[in-house]
Amino acid sequence: MKSCLIVDDSKMVRRVAGRILKDLQFSTGEAENGSEAMALCKSAMPDAILLDWNMPVMDGLTFLKGLREMPGGQNPVVVFCTAERSVERISEALDAGADEYVMKPFDSDIIESKFIEAGLI
Amino acid sequence: MGQVRSLEPAYYEALRRLTLELAGVKLGINTDFYVETRLSSLAKERGYADLQALISDLFSDGDTRLAVHVVSALLERDLRFFDDKAGFTALSKRILPLISSDFAGETIRILCYGCASGQEAYSLAITLTDIEDSFPELAPQNGFHITAVDYPGRALSQAEAGRYTHFDVQRGLPVRSLVKYFARDGEDWVVSGQLRSHMDFKEAHLLTAPDAFGKFHLVMMRNALSRYAPAAQMRILRSLAPVLETGGYLMLGTQENLSDLNFGLDPVRACPGFYRRRATRYFEDDESGNPDVAPKHQAAG
Repeated sequence: MKSCLIVDDSKMVRRVAGRILKDLQFSTGEAENGSEAMALCKSAMPDAILLDWNMPVMDGLTFLKGLREMPGGQNPVVVFCTAERSVERISEALDAGADEYVMKPFDSDIIESKFIEAGLI
Repeated sequence: MGQVRSLEPAYYEALRRLTLELAGVKLGINTDFYVETRLSSLAKERGYADLQALISDLFSDGDTRLAVHVVSALLERDLRFFDDKAGFTALSKRILPLISSDFAGETIRILCYGCASGQEAYSLAITLTDIEDSFPELAPQNGFHITAVDYPGRALSQAEAGRYTHFDVQRGLPVRSLVKYFARDGEDWVVSGQLRSHMDFKEAHLLTAPDAFGKFHLVMMRNALSRYAPAAQMRILRSLAPVLETGGYLMLGTQENLSDLNFGLDPVRACPGFYRRRATRYFEDDESGNPDVAPKHQAAG
């Protein structure tokens, strides 16, 4: 079973995404911000990270740049999941090392489609 | 709990009959709710007070244009980009290099038959443009052009506009393709002029021969054949095969096949869903239209 860390400051989003990912046969972990996610990745690198952009303490883009510089940080497939929808923001995320990008609001079909696209399913 | 139906039961049966007669598609018997939602939306779009008013107009006036729009609304498919992806992979890795080589020097002409809201036609244009950008040696030397056809209606209008919701563009479309080939317009995403310049969209009755559009090197009709009644399937395949250039390809869904009815097309080995038109004048000469008879003549050369 593959693992996915869900990083989002919204408990509701973490819960909904968690349910979808469990249905897709992923084991899931949760973090409320980039800083918490960084600590979790240092102890165990997940296979995938579903990552919000705007969060307190450390935002998603800062986390992603830090992750990609960590030992083993190139390995997780990172799928941004954010309300940011401009082409500029999406390009910024891809340039920083994101593999796929989900624009909120999302549903299970979109998450599944993006995880297939990213080679996770 | 019973379904809410706003029409007399006989009208649902009449609509099923109309769809079969006009488009060759057999709607299931438990499709009243589906008919209700699709046509209520069409009635609203066309300014009718309610569904009953649209149906009264349809069956009392015998308005054929309205009948086509009604059937088109009933046939709308929920499409996604790069659906049945194995077919696109086979197309880009196996078939397109063969077409580019066999028809070197020609602009590759592609017919997308039954394009609905356009996701497949644009997926095809993205595939070809990506090959042109990344592997120019495998791409058609003189570019490509896609003619996408379907019944007139909301789906074809959307295809022509190339406008999709943020839900549409997240189903099957890689984000890098979204950024490269689409621009945001309000809450929607619109296909770029670069892709559109390779395409045109036309109205067509899918049960009539598409020979008015010319000859094609590739005809694409994926995952739609099974919706048609057997006689309509025969009619479509019989009319599609002759618009293929000799040596051209028919692309069905990877789970679809022509079984015993080959219509002058041979399956491509290890490429499920792909058929190649053999060098024969069978269609032009076989006036009986019987697909089971042997070819009468071989084409010169």
